[in-house]
Amino acid sequence: MSDDSLILYEEEIERIDSLLTKLLKGAEAKCALLVDKDGHLITRQGFTHSLDTTALAALLAGSFASTKEIARLVGEMEFSVLFHQGKKDHIHMSIVGERSILAVIFDDRTTIGMVRLYAKETADELAKIFAHLAGRPLREQKVTADFAASAGDKLDDIFKD
Amino acid sequence: MVSINYATREVSCKVVYYGPGLSGKTTNLQYVHHKVPPETKGKLISLATDADRTLYFDFLPINIGAINGFAAKFQLYTVPGQVYYNATRKLVLRGTDGIVFVADSQPDKMDENIESLNNLKENLAEYGYKLEEMPFVIQYNKQDLPGVLSQEEMHKALNTGQWPEFCASATAGFGVFDTLKCILKLVLDKARSSGAGKVQARPEAQPPQTAPGPATPTKQRTPQPERIYAPPPRPRQPEAAPVFEPVGTSGQPMPSVHRDEAEAVPSARPPLSLPPMERQQVYRPFPGNTTEDEERMNNMSQQGTGKVKMPGPMISPGHLGNTRKSDIPVSPQMAPSLKVDAAKKKRSLFKRLFGLR
Repeated sequence: MSDDSLILYEEEIERIDSLLTKLLKGAEAKCALLVDKDGHLITRQGFTHSLDTTALAALLAGSFASTKEIARLVGEMEFSVLFHQGKKDHIHMSIVGERSILAVIFDDRTTIGMVRLYAKETADELAKIFAHLAGRPLREQKVTADFAASAGDKLDDIFKD
Repeated sequence: MVSINYATREVSCKVVYYGPGLSGKTTNLQYVHHKVPPETKGKLISLATDADRTLYFDFLPINIGAINGFAAKFQLYTVPGQVYYNATRKLVLRGTDGIVFVADSQPDKMDENIESLNNLKENLAEYGYKLEEMPFVIQYNKQDLPGVLSQEEMHKALNTGQWPEFCASATAGFGVFDTLKCILKLVLDKARSSGAGKVQARPEAQPPQTAPGPATPTKQRTPQPERIYAPPPRPRQPEAAPVFEPVGTSGQPMPSVHRDEAEAVPSARPPLSLPPMERQQVYRPFPGNTTEDEERMNNMSQQGTGKVKMPGPMISPGHLGNTRKSDIPVSPQMAPSLKVDAAKKKRSLFKRLFGLR
Protein backbone atom coordinates (compact mmCIF):
# COMPACT_ATOMS: atom_id res chain seq x y z
CA MET A 1 0.00 0.00 0.00
CA SER A 2 1.26 3.43 -0.79
CA ASP A 3 1.85 5.71 2.17
CA ASP A 4 0.74 8.86 0.41
CA SER A 5 -2.82 8.68 1.67
CA LEU A 6 -5.03 11.59 0.78
CA ILE A 7 -6.21 13.18 4.02
CA LEU A 8 -8.35 16.29 3.79
CA TYR A 9 -9.63 18.33 6.74
CA GLU A 10 -12.91 20.20 6.87
CA GLU A 11 -11.58 23.68 6.18
CA GLU A 12 -9.60 22.39 3.22
CA ILE A 13 -12.70 20.81 1.72
CA GLU A 14 -14.61 24.02 2.36
CA ARG A 15 -11.95 26.00 0.55
CA ILE A 16 -12.06 23.58 -2.39
CA ASP A 17 -15.86 23.67 -2.42
CA SER A 18 -15.88 27.45 -2.55
CA LEU A 19 -13.55 27.36 -5.56
CA LEU A 20 -15.82 24.86 -7.30
CA THR A 21 -18.87 27.00 -6.53
CA LYS A 22 -17.10 30.00 -8.00
CA LEU A 23 -16.30 27.94 -11.08
CA LEU A 24 -19.93 26.86 -11.48
CA LYS A 25 -21.13 30.41 -11.04
CA GLY A 26 -18.67 31.84 -13.53
CA ALA A 27 -18.97 29.15 -16.18
CA GLU A 28 -22.67 28.52 -15.61
CA ALA A 29 -22.02 24.81 -15.50
CA LYS A 30 -24.25 22.19 -13.88
CA CYS A 31 -21.86 20.51 -11.53
CA ALA A 32 -18.21 19.99 -10.79
CA LEU A 33 -16.46 16.97 -9.31
CA LEU A 34 -12.97 16.74 -7.96
CA VAL A 35 -11.71 13.19 -8.29
CA ASP A 36 -8.56 11.49 -7.15
CA LYS A 37 -6.64 9.72 -9.92
CA ASP A 38 -7.18 6.46 -8.02
CA GLY A 39 -10.92 6.84 -8.47
CA HIS A 40 -11.93 8.29 -5.08
CA LEU A 41 -14.35 11.19 -5.12
CA ILE A 42 -12.83 14.10 -3.19
CA THR A 43 -15.69 16.55 -3.33
CA ARG A 44 -18.49 17.74 -5.58
CA GLN A 45 -20.59 20.84 -6.04
CA GLY A 46 -23.67 21.71 -8.03
CA PHE A 47 -26.57 19.55 -9.13
CA THR A 48 -25.12 16.13 -8.43
CA HIS A 49 -27.96 14.53 -6.54
CA SER A 50 -29.22 12.62 -9.55
CA LEU A 51 -25.76 11.36 -10.37
CA ASP A 52 -24.06 8.26 -9.02
CA THR A 53 -20.96 10.25 -8.22
CA THR A 54 -19.10 7.27 -6.73
CA ALA A 55 -19.29 5.34 -9.98
CA LEU A 56 -18.74 8.49 -11.98
CA ALA A 57 -15.53 9.20 -10.09
CA ALA A 58 -14.22 5.70 -10.73
CA LEU A 59 -15.07 5.87 -14.42
CA LEU A 60 -13.63 9.36 -14.88
CA ALA A 61 -10.40 8.26 -13.25
CA GLY A 62 -10.35 5.15 -15.44
CA SER A 63 -10.97 7.24 -18.52
CA PHE A 64 -8.14 9.56 -17.63
CA ALA A 65 -5.79 6.69 -16.87
CA SER A 66 -6.42 5.04 -20.21
CA THR A 67 -5.99 8.37 -22.01
CA LYS A 68 -2.67 8.81 -20.31
CA GLU A 69 -1.51 5.53 -21.79
CA ILE A 70 -2.71 6.68 -25.21
CA ALA A 71 -0.72 9.88 -24.76
CA ARG A 72 2.39 7.93 -23.96
CA LEU A 73 1.98 5.86 -27.10
CA VAL A 74 1.97 9.01 -29.22
CA GLY A 75 4.92 10.50 -27.37
CA GLU A 76 3.14 12.77 -24.90
CA MET A 77 3.46 12.57 -21.14
CA GLU A 78 -0.28 12.97 -20.70
CA PHE A 79 -3.21 14.89 -22.11
CA SER A 80 -4.04 17.57 -19.59
CA VAL A 81 -7.57 18.23 -20.85
CA LEU A 82 -10.28 15.81 -21.95
CA PHE A 83 -13.63 16.78 -23.38
CA HIS A 84 -16.62 14.53 -23.97
CA GLN A 85 -19.39 16.01 -26.05
CA GLY A 86 -22.93 14.71 -25.80
CA LYS A 87 -26.22 15.77 -27.30
CA LYS A 88 -27.16 17.88 -24.32
CA ASP A 89 -24.60 17.46 -21.60
CA HIS A 90 -20.87 17.60 -21.95
CA ILE A 91 -17.96 16.87 -19.65
CA HIS A 92 -14.75 18.82 -19.46
CA MET A 93 -11.94 17.19 -17.52
CA SER A 94 -8.62 18.71 -16.60
CA ILE A 95 -5.72 17.66 -14.45
CA VAL A 96 -5.20 19.35 -11.11
CA GLY A 97 -1.65 19.13 -9.85
CA GLU A 98 -0.19 15.65 -9.68
CA ARG A 99 -3.00 13.49 -8.48
CA SER A 100 -6.45 14.94 -9.07
CA ILE A 101 -8.92 15.51 -11.87
CA LEU A 102 -11.44 18.32 -12.12
CA ALA A 103 -14.54 17.30 -14.06
CA VAL A 104 -17.15 19.91 -15.03
CA ILE A 105 -20.50 18.83 -16.43
CA PHE A 106 -22.32 21.47 -18.41
CA ASP A 107 -25.00 21.86 -21.03
CA ASP A 108 -25.79 24.22 -23.87
CA ARG A 109 -26.53 27.13 -21.59
CA THR A 110 -22.83 27.85 -21.62
CA THR A 111 -19.92 27.22 -23.96
CA ILE A 112 -16.86 25.04 -23.90
CA GLY A 113 -14.73 28.19 -24.02
CA MET A 114 -16.23 29.59 -20.84
CA VAL A 115 -15.90 26.28 -19.06
CA ARG A 116 -12.34 25.87 -20.19
CA LEU A 117 -11.41 29.37 -19.09
CA TYR A 118 -12.85 29.02 -15.61
CA ALA A 119 -11.73 25.42 -15.22
CA LYS A 120 -8.14 26.40 -15.91
CA GLU A 121 -8.26 29.18 -13.33
CA THR A 122 -9.82 26.87 -10.78
CA ALA A 123 -7.37 24.07 -11.52
CA ASP A 124 -4.47 26.44 -10.91
CA GLU A 125 -5.95 27.50 -7.57
CA LEU A 126 -6.66 23.90 -6.59
CA ALA A 127 -3.14 22.88 -7.53
CA LYS A 128 -1.81 25.40 -5.01
CA ILE A 129 -4.02 23.89 -2.31
CA PHE A 130 -2.85 20.36 -3.13
CA ALA A 131 0.76 21.49 -3.14
CA HIS A 132 0.17 22.84 0.35
CA LEU A 133 -1.44 19.56 1.44
CA ALA A 134 1.63 17.60 0.50
CA GLY A 135 3.81 19.47 2.95
CA ARG A 136 1.51 20.04 5.89
CA PRO A 137 1.77 18.01 9.08
CA LEU A 138 -1.08 15.71 9.95
CA ARG A 139 -3.15 16.42 13.03
CA GLU A 140 -3.29 14.05 15.90
CA GLN A 141 -6.45 12.11 15.52
CA LYS A 142 -7.37 8.52 16.02
CA VAL A 143 -9.43 8.13 12.90
CA THR A 144 -8.47 4.69 11.77
CA ALA A 145 -6.74 3.55 14.93
CA ASP A 146 -9.01 0.66 15.80
CA PHE A 147 -10.99 0.49 12.60
CA ALA A 148 -10.36 -3.18 11.99
CA ALA A 149 -11.43 -4.18 15.49
CA SER A 150 -14.54 -2.01 15.35
CA ALA A 151 -15.45 -3.19 11.89
CA GLY A 152 -15.24 -6.92 12.72
CA ASP A 153 -18.80 -7.41 13.92
CA LYS A 154 -20.21 -5.13 11.26
CA LEU A 155 -18.48 -7.04 8.49
CA ASP A 156 -19.78 -10.33 9.88
CA ASP A 157 -23.25 -8.89 9.98
CA ILE A 158 -23.23 -7.56 6.41
CA PHE A 159 -21.36 -10.35 4.69
CA LYS A 160 -23.21 -13.46 5.72
CA ASP A 161 -24.26 -16.17 3.31
CA MET B 1 -4.20 4.74 -1.24
CA VAL B 2 -6.62 5.33 1.59
CA SER B 3 -8.61 8.53 1.22
CA ILE B 4 -9.79 10.17 4.45
CA ASN B 5 -12.24 13.05 4.16
CA TYR B 6 -12.93 14.88 7.42
CA ALA B 7 -15.65 17.03 5.88
CA THR B 8 -17.84 14.14 4.83
CA ARG B 9 -16.45 11.83 7.52
CA GLU B 10 -15.55 9.12 5.05
CA VAL B 11 -12.70 6.70 4.73
CA SER B 12 -12.38 5.20 1.27
CA CYS B 13 -10.25 2.20 0.34
CA LYS B 14 -9.63 0.37 -2.91
CA VAL B 15 -9.47 -3.41 -3.24
CA VAL B 16 -8.56 -5.14 -6.50
CA TYR B 17 -9.48 -8.70 -7.49
CA TYR B 18 -6.59 -10.03 -9.57
CA GLY B 19 -6.04 -13.34 -11.30
CA PRO B 20 -5.90 -15.17 -14.62
CA GLY B 21 -8.67 -15.00 -17.18
CA LEU B 22 -11.91 -16.85 -16.37
CA SER B 23 -10.81 -17.55 -12.81
CA GLY B 24 -13.98 -15.96 -11.38
CA LYS B 25 -13.07 -12.42 -10.39
CA THR B 26 -16.19 -10.86 -11.89
CA THR B 27 -18.31 -13.69 -10.54
CA ASN B 28 -16.98 -12.90 -7.05
CA LEU B 29 -18.20 -9.33 -7.41
CA GLN B 30 -21.51 -10.45 -8.83
CA TYR B 31 -22.07 -12.74 -5.87
CA VAL B 32 -21.23 -9.94 -3.43
CA HIS B 33 -23.51 -7.57 -5.29
CA HIS B 34 -26.30 -10.13 -5.27
CA LYS B 35 -26.05 -10.99 -1.60
CA VAL B 36 -25.28 -7.84 0.37
CA PRO B 37 -28.09 -5.62 1.65
CA PRO B 38 -29.21 -2.96 -0.84
CA GLU B 39 -28.32 -0.05 1.40
CA THR B 40 -24.75 -1.33 1.55
CA LYS B 41 -23.96 -1.58 -2.10
CA GLY B 42 -23.80 0.70 -5.08
CA LYS B 43 -24.29 -0.17 -8.69
CA LEU B 44 -22.12 -2.90 -10.18
CA ILE B 45 -20.47 -1.47 -13.24
CA SER B 46 -18.87 -3.80 -15.76
CA LEU B 47 -16.78 -2.51 -18.61
CA ALA B 48 -16.95 -5.72 -20.55
CA THR B 49 -16.94 -6.97 -24.12
CA ASP B 50 -20.02 -8.29 -25.88
CA ALA B 51 -18.98 -11.77 -24.77
CA ASP B 52 -19.08 -10.62 -21.12
CA ARG B 53 -15.32 -10.72 -20.75
CA THR B 54 -13.94 -7.89 -18.64
CA LEU B 55 -12.39 -5.30 -20.93
CA TYR B 56 -11.23 -2.68 -18.46
CA PHE B 57 -12.62 -3.32 -14.98
CA ASP B 58 -15.69 -4.16 -12.94
CA PHE B 59 -16.50 -1.78 -10.14
CA LEU B 60 -18.62 -2.30 -7.05
CA PRO B 61 -18.76 0.28 -4.26
CA ILE B 62 -19.55 -1.03 -0.79
CA ASN B 63 -20.46 1.16 2.17
CA ILE B 64 -20.39 -0.76 5.43
CA GLY B 65 -21.63 2.20 7.45
CA ALA B 66 -20.17 4.24 10.24
CA ILE B 67 -17.21 2.97 12.19
CA ASN B 68 -15.81 5.27 14.85
CA GLY B 69 -17.91 8.03 13.33
CA PHE B 70 -16.47 7.62 9.85
CA ALA B 71 -18.33 5.96 6.99
CA ALA B 72 -16.13 3.14 5.70
CA LYS B 73 -16.39 2.83 1.94
CA PHE B 74 -14.71 0.22 -0.18
CA GLN B 75 -14.29 0.23 -3.90
CA LEU B 76 -14.01 -3.29 -5.27
CA TYR B 77 -12.38 -3.58 -8.69
CA THR B 78 -11.57 -6.50 -10.92
CA VAL B 79 -8.99 -6.53 -13.68
CA PRO B 80 -9.17 -8.14 -17.12
CA GLY B 81 -7.44 -11.48 -16.79
CA GLN B 82 -6.22 -12.14 -20.31
CA VAL B 83 -2.50 -11.81 -20.80
CA TYR B 84 -2.76 -9.22 -23.56
CA TYR B 85 -4.71 -6.79 -21.38
CA ASN B 86 -1.76 -6.07 -19.15
CA ALA B 87 -1.77 -2.32 -19.86
CA THR B 88 -5.30 -1.87 -18.53
CA ARG B 89 -4.67 -4.35 -15.72
CA LYS B 90 -1.80 -2.21 -14.53
CA LEU B 91 -3.94 0.94 -14.61
CA VAL B 92 -6.52 -0.60 -12.30
CA LEU B 93 -3.84 -1.50 -9.78
CA ARG B 94 -2.91 2.12 -9.28
CA GLY B 95 -3.43 3.24 -5.70
CA THR B 96 -4.82 -0.06 -4.49
CA ASP B 97 -5.00 -0.74 -0.76
CA GLY B 98 -5.45 -4.49 -0.92
CA ILE B 99 -5.48 -7.35 -3.41
CA VAL B 100 -7.44 -10.59 -3.66
CA PHE B 101 -5.80 -13.11 -5.96
CA VAL B 102 -8.46 -15.38 -7.44
CA ALA B 103 -6.78 -18.58 -8.57
CA ASP B 104 -8.40 -21.21 -10.75
CA SER B 105 -8.21 -24.59 -8.98
CA GLN B 106 -8.36 -26.67 -12.16
CA PRO B 107 -5.10 -28.56 -12.75
CA ASP B 108 -4.60 -27.31 -16.30
CA LYS B 109 -4.90 -23.70 -15.14
CA MET B 110 -2.00 -23.80 -12.72
CA ASP B 111 0.48 -22.34 -15.20
CA GLU B 112 -1.84 -19.41 -15.80
CA ASN B 113 -2.18 -18.89 -12.04
CA ILE B 114 1.58 -18.75 -11.59
CA GLU B 115 2.04 -16.48 -14.59
CA SER B 116 -0.66 -14.12 -13.31
CA LEU B 117 0.88 -14.02 -9.83
CA ASN B 118 4.26 -13.14 -11.29
CA ASN B 119 2.62 -10.53 -13.48
CA LEU B 120 1.00 -9.03 -10.38
CA LYS B 121 4.38 -8.70 -8.69
CA GLU B 122 5.85 -7.03 -11.78
CA ASN B 123 2.99 -4.57 -12.10
CA LEU B 124 3.13 -3.70 -8.41
CA ALA B 125 6.86 -3.14 -8.68
CA GLU B 126 6.26 -0.60 -11.45
CA TYR B 127 4.22 1.46 -8.99
CA GLY B 128 6.83 0.98 -6.29
CA TYR B 129 4.67 -1.35 -4.23
CA LYS B 130 5.73 -4.67 -2.78
CA LEU B 131 3.38 -7.60 -2.49
CA GLU B 132 4.88 -8.46 0.89
CA GLU B 133 3.79 -5.08 2.27
CA MET B 134 0.33 -5.16 0.72
CA PRO B 135 -2.78 -6.67 2.33
CA PHE B 136 -3.10 -9.79 0.20
CA VAL B 137 -5.43 -12.80 0.24
CA ILE B 138 -5.50 -15.81 -2.07
CA GLN B 139 -8.74 -17.48 -3.05
CA TYR B 140 -8.71 -20.97 -4.57
CA ASN B 141 -11.82 -20.69 -6.68
CA LYS B 142 -13.96 -23.30 -8.46
CA GLN B 143 -13.55 -25.82 -5.66
CA ASP B 144 -17.00 -27.17 -6.46
CA LEU B 145 -15.81 -28.56 -9.79
CA PRO B 146 -14.76 -32.19 -10.04
CA GLY B 147 -11.10 -33.07 -10.32
CA VAL B 148 -9.76 -29.78 -9.01
CA LEU B 149 -6.55 -29.47 -7.01
CA SER B 150 -6.83 -29.63 -3.25
CA GLN B 151 -6.05 -26.72 -0.96
CA GLU B 152 -2.71 -28.31 -0.04
CA GLU B 153 -1.69 -28.62 -3.68
CA MET B 154 -2.76 -25.07 -4.47
CA HIS B 155 -0.96 -23.77 -1.39
CA LYS B 156 2.24 -25.50 -2.34
CA ALA B 157 2.19 -24.05 -5.84
CA LEU B 158 1.03 -20.50 -5.14
CA ASN B 159 1.16 -19.43 -1.53
CA THR B 160 4.85 -18.70 -1.22
CA GLY B 161 4.25 -15.80 1.16
CA GLN B 162 2.10 -17.62 3.72
CA TRP B 163 -0.78 -15.31 2.89
CA PRO B 164 -4.30 -15.96 4.17
CA GLU B 165 -6.04 -18.38 1.81
CA PHE B 166 -9.58 -19.53 1.21
CA CYS B 167 -11.22 -22.27 -0.78
CA ALA B 168 -14.22 -20.93 -2.61
CA SER B 169 -16.75 -21.29 -5.33
CA ALA B 170 -17.96 -17.97 -6.64
CA THR B 171 -20.90 -19.60 -8.40
CA ALA B 172 -22.01 -21.67 -5.42
CA GLY B 173 -21.15 -18.82 -3.09
CA PHE B 174 -19.02 -20.45 -0.42
CA GLY B 175 -15.80 -18.76 0.54
CA VAL B 176 -16.59 -15.49 -1.26
CA PHE B 177 -17.58 -13.52 1.82
CA ASP B 178 -14.82 -15.10 3.91
CA THR B 179 -12.30 -13.85 1.39
CA LEU B 180 -13.85 -10.41 1.27
CA LYS B 181 -14.10 -10.03 5.04
CA CYS B 182 -10.48 -11.07 5.43
CA ILE B 183 -9.14 -8.56 2.90
CA LEU B 184 -11.30 -5.73 4.27
CA LYS B 185 -10.05 -6.36 7.79
CA LEU B 186 -6.46 -6.44 6.57
CA VAL B 187 -6.99 -3.19 4.64
CA LEU B 188 -8.55 -1.45 7.62
CA ASP B 189 -5.79 -2.74 9.82
CA LYS B 190 -3.25 -1.33 7.41
CA ALA B 191 -5.14 1.96 7.12
CA ARG B 192 -4.29 2.79 10.69
CA SER B 193 -0.68 3.21 9.71
CA SER B 194 -1.58 5.80 7.10
CA GLY B 195 -4.41 7.64 8.82
CA ALA B 196 -3.44 7.64 12.43
CA GLY B 197 -0.13 5.88 12.30
CA LYS B 198 1.69 9.16 12.42
CA VAL B 199 0.16 9.88 15.77
CA GLN B 200 -0.08 6.42 17.19
CA ALA B 201 2.66 4.00 17.78
CA ARG B 202 2.48 1.26 15.20
CA PRO B 203 1.07 -1.78 16.93
CA GLU B 204 2.66 -5.13 16.78
CA ALA B 205 2.09 -6.99 13.58
CA GLN B 206 -1.31 -8.55 13.66
CA PRO B 207 -1.54 -12.23 13.03
CA PRO B 208 -3.27 -13.02 9.78
CA GLN B 209 -6.98 -13.49 9.99
CA THR B 210 -6.54 -17.08 9.11
CA ALA B 211 -3.56 -18.96 10.28
CA PRO B 212 -1.58 -19.68 7.17
CA GLY B 213 -0.33 -23.08 6.46
CA PRO B 214 -1.05 -25.98 4.26
CA ALA B 215 -3.48 -27.62 6.59
CA THR B 216 -5.61 -24.65 7.56
CA PRO B 217 -8.88 -25.07 5.84
CA THR B 218 -10.43 -21.78 6.85
CA LYS B 219 -13.55 -22.80 5.11
CA GLN B 220 -13.84 -26.50 4.95
CA ARG B 221 -14.59 -27.68 1.49
CA THR B 222 -17.97 -29.24 1.59
CA PRO B 223 -18.47 -32.13 -0.73
CA GLN B 224 -20.50 -30.85 -3.64
CA PRO B 225 -22.43 -32.87 -6.14
CA GLU B 226 -20.97 -32.91 -9.59
CA ARG B 227 -22.15 -29.92 -11.53
CA ILE B 228 -21.36 -28.04 -14.64
CA TYR B 229 -19.56 -24.78 -14.09
CA ALA B 230 -21.63 -22.07 -15.61
CA PRO B 231 -21.48 -18.40 -14.65
CA PRO B 232 -24.81 -16.96 -13.63
CA PRO B 233 -26.38 -14.26 -15.76
CA ARG B 234 -25.11 -10.82 -14.92
CA PRO B 235 -27.58 -9.05 -12.69
CA ARG B 236 -28.82 -5.76 -13.98
CA GLN B 237 -29.78 -3.02 -11.57
CA PRO B 238 -32.81 -1.01 -12.46
CA GLU B 239 -32.09 2.62 -13.15
CA ALA B 240 -32.75 4.78 -10.18
CA ALA B 241 -35.23 7.55 -10.51
CA PRO B 242 -33.20 10.72 -10.44
CA VAL B 243 -34.15 13.30 -7.92
CA PHE B 244 -32.90 16.64 -8.97
CA GLU B 245 -32.08 19.11 -6.32
CA PRO B 246 -29.00 21.14 -5.58
CA VAL B 247 -26.88 19.56 -2.92
CA GLY B 248 -23.31 20.23 -2.01
CA THR B 249 -20.95 17.73 -0.49
CA SER B 250 -21.59 19.01 2.97
CA GLY B 251 -25.31 18.67 2.49
CA GLN B 252 -25.74 22.42 2.32
CA PRO B 253 -27.82 23.95 -0.43
CA MET B 254 -26.06 25.78 -3.20
CA PRO B 255 -25.22 29.31 -2.18
CA SER B 256 -27.06 32.13 -3.79
CA VAL B 257 -25.66 33.01 -7.14
CA HIS B 258 -26.10 36.71 -6.51
CA ARG B 259 -23.87 37.04 -3.54
CA ASP B 260 -20.56 38.80 -3.76
CA GLU B 261 -17.57 37.10 -5.22
CA ALA B 262 -15.63 37.93 -2.11
CA GLU B 263 -18.17 36.05 -0.12
CA ALA B 264 -17.76 32.96 -2.24
CA VAL B 265 -14.18 32.52 -1.11
CA PRO B 266 -14.08 32.59 2.63
CA SER B 267 -11.02 33.97 4.27
CA ALA B 268 -8.63 31.70 6.06
CA ARG B 269 -10.29 30.14 9.04
CA PRO B 270 -8.64 29.20 12.26
CA PRO B 271 -7.82 25.52 12.30
CA LEU B 272 -10.63 23.48 13.71
CA SER B 273 -10.04 21.15 16.55
CA LEU B 274 -11.92 18.10 15.50
CA PRO B 275 -13.17 15.83 18.24
CA PRO B 276 -13.10 12.11 17.63
CA MET B 277 -16.57 12.47 16.13
CA GLU B 278 -19.38 13.04 18.53
CA ARG B 279 -21.77 14.54 16.07
CA GLN B 280 -24.37 12.72 14.06
CA GLN B 281 -23.28 9.54 12.43
CA VAL B 282 -22.89 10.02 8.75
CA TYR B 283 -24.37 7.30 6.65
CA ARG B 284 -24.64 8.08 2.99
CA PRO B 285 -26.49 5.50 0.96
CA PHE B 286 -25.66 5.28 -2.67
CA PRO B 287 -27.82 7.12 -5.15
CA GLY B 288 -30.55 4.85 -6.32
CA ASN B 289 -30.62 2.90 -3.08
CA THR B 290 -32.39 5.34 -0.86
CA THR B 291 -35.47 4.12 0.86
CA GLU B 292 -37.30 7.08 -0.64
CA ASP B 293 -36.53 5.86 -4.10
CA GLU B 294 -37.55 2.33 -3.24
CA GLU B 295 -40.81 3.49 -1.75
CA ARG B 296 -41.52 5.62 -4.76
CA MET B 297 -40.76 2.77 -7.12
CA ASN B 298 -43.03 0.46 -5.12
CA ASN B 299 -45.84 3.01 -5.17
CA MET B 300 -45.50 3.40 -8.88
CA SER B 301 -45.66 -0.31 -9.52
CA GLN B 302 -48.60 -0.71 -7.16
CA GLN B 303 -50.48 1.94 -9.03
CA GLY B 304 -49.93 -0.08 -12.12
CA THR B 305 -48.48 2.73 -14.11
CA GLY B 306 -45.34 0.83 -14.82
CA LYS B 307 -43.55 4.08 -15.44
CA VAL B 308 -41.38 5.97 -13.08
CA LYS B 309 -42.46 9.55 -12.87
CA MET B 310 -39.53 11.78 -12.39
CA PRO B 311 -40.28 14.15 -9.58
CA GLY B 312 -37.71 16.72 -10.43
CA PRO B 313 -37.38 18.89 -13.45
CA MET B 314 -34.36 18.64 -15.71
CA ILE B 315 -34.92 15.13 -16.90
CA SER B 316 -33.45 14.53 -20.25
CA PRO B 317 -33.84 11.33 -22.29
CA GLY B 318 -30.10 10.95 -22.05
CA HIS B 319 -30.40 10.14 -18.38
CA LEU B 320 -32.64 7.18 -19.03
CA GLY B 321 -30.69 5.01 -21.36
CA ASN B 322 -32.95 3.23 -23.77
CA THR B 323 -36.19 4.70 -22.56
CA ARG B 324 -38.27 6.05 -25.38
CA LYS B 325 -38.84 9.76 -25.51
CA SER B 326 -42.59 9.35 -25.42
CA ASP B 327 -42.31 7.48 -22.11
CA ILE B 328 -40.67 10.34 -20.34
CA PRO B 329 -42.83 12.90 -18.67
CA VAL B 330 -40.46 15.73 -19.43
CA SER B 331 -41.20 18.85 -17.57
CA PRO B 332 -40.58 22.03 -19.50
CA GLN B 333 -39.16 23.58 -16.39
CA MET B 334 -35.39 23.68 -16.41
CA ALA B 335 -33.06 23.42 -13.50
CA PRO B 336 -32.38 26.60 -11.59
CA SER B 337 -29.95 28.49 -13.68
CA LEU B 338 -26.93 30.19 -12.34
CA LYS B 339 -27.74 33.37 -14.18
CA VAL B 340 -25.85 36.51 -13.48
CA ASP B 341 -26.20 39.89 -14.98
CA ALA B 342 -25.18 39.40 -18.59
CA ALA B 343 -23.63 42.80 -19.11
CA LYS B 344 -21.62 42.59 -15.91
CA LYS B 345 -20.43 39.16 -16.82
CA LYS B 346 -19.42 40.23 -20.31
CA ARG B 347 -17.45 43.15 -18.92
CA SER B 348 -15.75 40.85 -16.47
CA LEU B 349 -14.86 38.40 -19.22
CA PHE B 350 -13.46 41.10 -21.49
CA LYS B 351 -11.45 42.47 -18.61
CA ARG B 352 -10.07 39.04 -17.94
CA LEU B 353 -9.26 38.30 -21.57
CA PHE B 354 -7.97 41.65 -22.77
CA GLY B 355 -7.21 43.62 -19.64
CA LEU B 356 -9.81 46.27 -20.62
CA ARG B 357 -11.24 48.54 -17.99
